[in-house]
Amino acid sequence: MIIEGAIIYSNLLVLLALGLTLTYITTNVPNFAQGSYAIVGSYVALTLLKLFGICPYLSLPVLFIVGAIVGLLTYLSLKPLIKRNASVEMLMIATLAIDLILLGVIGAYSEVLSQIVGSTQAKFVFANLDFSIFGFRGILFVSTLVVILLLFGLYLLLYKTKFGIALRASMENPSLAQTMGIDVEKTRLFSWILSGALAGVAGGLLPFMQEIVPATGDLIIISIFAASIVGGLRHISGALIGGYIIGISESLITYYLAMAFGAGFLVYGKVVSLIIMIATLLIAPYGITGVDWKKVRKRLFSQ
Amino acid sequence: MVIRMIKIKNLNAGYGKLQILFDINAKVEKGKITTVVGPNGSGKSTFLKTLFGLTKIYSGEIIFNNKNIAHVPPHQKARMKIAYLPQTNNVFADLTVEENLKIAGYVLDKDKVKERIEIALNIFPELKNILKRKAGTLSGGQRQFLAMGMALVRDAEVLMLDEPTAQLSPKLAEVIFGKIVEMRDEFGLTILLVEQNAKRALEISDNGYMFVSGKVAFEGTAEELLNHEKFKEYSLGITAL
Amino acid sequence: MSFDIISMILLWFGLYYIVSLSLNMEFGYAGIPNFGKALSVLVGAIAVGGILDRLLMLYFKINGDFITGSTYATSAINTIIASHPIVGIGILILAIILASILGLIVGAIFILPSAKLKEDYLGITLLAISEAVFLICTYNLNIIGGYYGISTPDILAFVSGEYRGWVFAGIVLIIAFLVFLFFERLLNTPFGRVLRAMRENENTVRAFGRNIMMLRIKTMAIGSAIGAIAGVLYSLYTVNIIANAFTRVDWTFFPFLMVLLGGKGNNKGVALGVLCYVVIKVLLDIYKYNIKYALNIPFEPVWLSYMLFGVLMLLILYYKPSGLIPEKPILTPPMKKKIAEIKQ
Ligand SMILES: Nc1ncnc2c1ncn2[C@@H]1O[C@H](COP(=O)(O)OP(=O)(O)OP(=O)(O)O)[C@@H](O)[C@H]1O
Ligand SMILES: [Mg+2]
Repeated sequence: MIIEGAIIYSNLLVLLALGLTLTYITTNVPNFAQGSYAIVGSYVALTLLKLFGICPYLSLPVLFIVGAIVGLLTYLSLKPLIKRNASVEMLMIATLAIDLILLGVIGAYSEVLSQIVGSTQAKFVFANLDFSIFGFRGILFVSTLVVILLLFGLYLLLYKTKFGIALRASMENPSLAQTMGIDVEKTRLFSWILSGALAGVAGGLLPFMQEIVPATGDLIIISIFAASIVGGLRHISGALIGGYIIGISESLITYYLAMAFGAGFLVYGKVVSLIIMIATLLIAPYGITGVDWKKVRKRLFSQ
Repeated sequence: MVIRMIKIKNLNAGYGKLQILFDINAKVEKGKITTVVGPNGSGKSTFLKTLFGLTKIYSGEIIFNNKNIAHVPPHQKARMKIAYLPQTNNVFADLTVEENLKIAGYVLDKDKVKERIEIALNIFPELKNILKRKAGTLSGGQRQFLAMGMALVRDAEVLMLDEPTAQLSPKLAEVIFGKIVEMRDEFGLTILLVEQNAKRALEISDNGYMFVSGKVAFEGTAEELLNHEKFKEYSLGITAL
Repeated sequence: MSFDIISMILLWFGLYYIVSLSLNMEFGYAGIPNFGKALSVLVGAIAVGGILDRLLMLYFKINGDFITGSTYATSAINTIIASHPIVGIGILILAIILASILGLIVGAIFILPSAKLKEDYLGITLLAISEAVFLICTYNLNIIGGYYGISTPDILAFVSGEYRGWVFAGIVLIIAFLVFLFFERLLNTPFGRVLRAMRENENTVRAFGRNIMMLRIKTMAIGSAIGAIAGVLYSLYTVNIIANAFTRVDWTFFPFLMVLLGGKGNNKGVALGVLCYVVIKVLLDIYKYNIKYALNIPFEPVWLSYMLFGVLMLLILYYKPSGLIPEKPILTPPMKKKIAEIKQ
């Protein structure tokens, strides 16, 4: 049961960390608003459910698009700063500002929605809507399926299309990519759109897992960063590895702590991911995918 | 009469506020090899980067086919049949050799890319056996072949090569020089070459420029440069202006 | 009514000026993007709620659980303060000393894991640490009462209610002024200049044999100690602590807004930034429902204020990245001489 939760959580973290890593690679912006992107998705899903009776699973394509728009808007508002070569601190502050704006919009919207629906919508879950197969929760299958589909799509895009190869080329060396005739600006734009879209989808699934309030984004952002950093912010595959490491250890360690010391320890989940993140930064600052494994092997064998 | 391919007028450029190039005037002739030599840090690489739009241009003109392209962004220059081979990081390490060659033909249509890759592989047959390898795992020589091959795939009329023989064994460097000559003579390409190995480079060149401290110290035919009284002194990189 | 507004503005100005001054040293001078500023303020609350309250419980020999125990302990001390004002002042000083020590330690430890990191990883780590401690303090009721809250001593129990706000604002302003003097002094020493040099280029500082890590640790220790003083004052002013109050938005984001608005690297500019923000904040706080009904906004005004301040931050970054009063170049004695020569 607890493993089920760990896998679901990891699946969602992978989607979110993927977006964070993607935009970090292309534009060098650590995006503190990534968590709130997901919550935008959650509230859109809630709206579709309450007003039109659409099951959240079916609204995922819509969330993909809504998320994409949020990502696009973020990039457009960061663009003047990126153009001016603003320092990374300034860019981080800008994403904090965007996060705050999103929080304001989500909070305001949740109250407006409450008035339309006629009951408070500030807090909600979808878990009660979920189906189950063989005693497993539907979200386990759906989130796994979504991750597999999106990753497969991303793989096809990145490795099998011309645009994808260009995207990878500009991630690695933007100025060389430019000399090949690639419009690096387009690939940046695309990465932000995709990042938002992935987060939007994650947002539709998140309420099956945990209760959502407008500020939930600020809570999950720690785990997202931990996942990306542990995996390595410089490689897309890092998000995948980091997502599962953080997701599973956060769930499992917290669970066993709670078993041993009582339910009060359930809140220590974020501390677990924080500790793993700091340990990674100390041992391998560029994360698991940033480690030069050949060197490590050599060192191990030479001893 | 010689046909001018690129003409550079009173060019001032640099990085941000740091000016590196001062009032450069130069020309690159069609179907010839023009070589820029000079001590380390004299601004040779910056000159090529500037022609490709990768630095900040304060003033001056770069006339190409009767148009001033000084302020055309790099990715559009790639569509003007100009190819540029940087001194460092000139291949995508995370991409395979094949992907690198494909990406080099980014602005061409599909069939054309295939055709150009054929041509490049014929000139650099060494690449044929390593098409699936990641470029990051290649040896220095292989990487340089790939970078040159990529420049060829571009189907450009002008090739700007920044130290294509750097860090290669003298034997390999000779091979590369041979290929450069081949490109000029067989394909009629216009080549702008930057070389550390000044003497050898000028021997295969038609014209040359000596850069010192971001300025053109002297210029002329390759022969004139080789025989210039100060050539040795400067090309050993001892003096700065 | 309007009188209260002024005392509120003065009080918040003092509190936020202390926090912003410390942030300005960390971020404006030393270039450390301390996105975990809120932690230092929370440390002040821990010094008051977690330590001082427990000391009082020990002193009055109150047993039992922490939350109710501290209620008894504070009311006991409040009765004493009501007749002996000096005890109130003593408690204030004690709390400030406790908080400064705790802040120094926490600040030094806080930066340790990230002392070698580049700006972006540094900022992320600081934010994550601060947020994690905030969560623990909120959900673990045994530290400072968590979301449930605990009471703290009323150091002005001897002042009648109508003047309390004014007296407290006065105390906060005096301390803010002392903090200002402290920083003006500190930042004009070689230490301050090295900090700026570190911001511009770490390698030159390294070349001069200064240890970047040591500099960062010192900076964050001092910055956190000062931030903790603000936390103490805030906790004592409100006479109770609710952990949820020490949010990232209120104590990290808004201080950044004030520093950037005023002009980072310039303590006087920051004062202007703080004043601008505080005036808007207090007016919004007091008139929020008037605004809500006047404009017919269908939601809590706090959300609107988030949007407004978020947009304001972006506008500052776009149009006034060096703030209303930009940083002045450092005038070392040799430079002053040069300028005098040129003028002649
Ligand atoms: N990206 C950059 N930013 C700032 N300054 C740079 C940059 N690249 C080069 N420079 C400076 O510009 C000057 C000229 O460098 P450039 O690379 O053009 O020299 P070069 O003639 O190609 O030297 P070499 O023979 O060593 O390749 C040097 O002083 C160098 O430090
Ligand atoms: Mg060079």
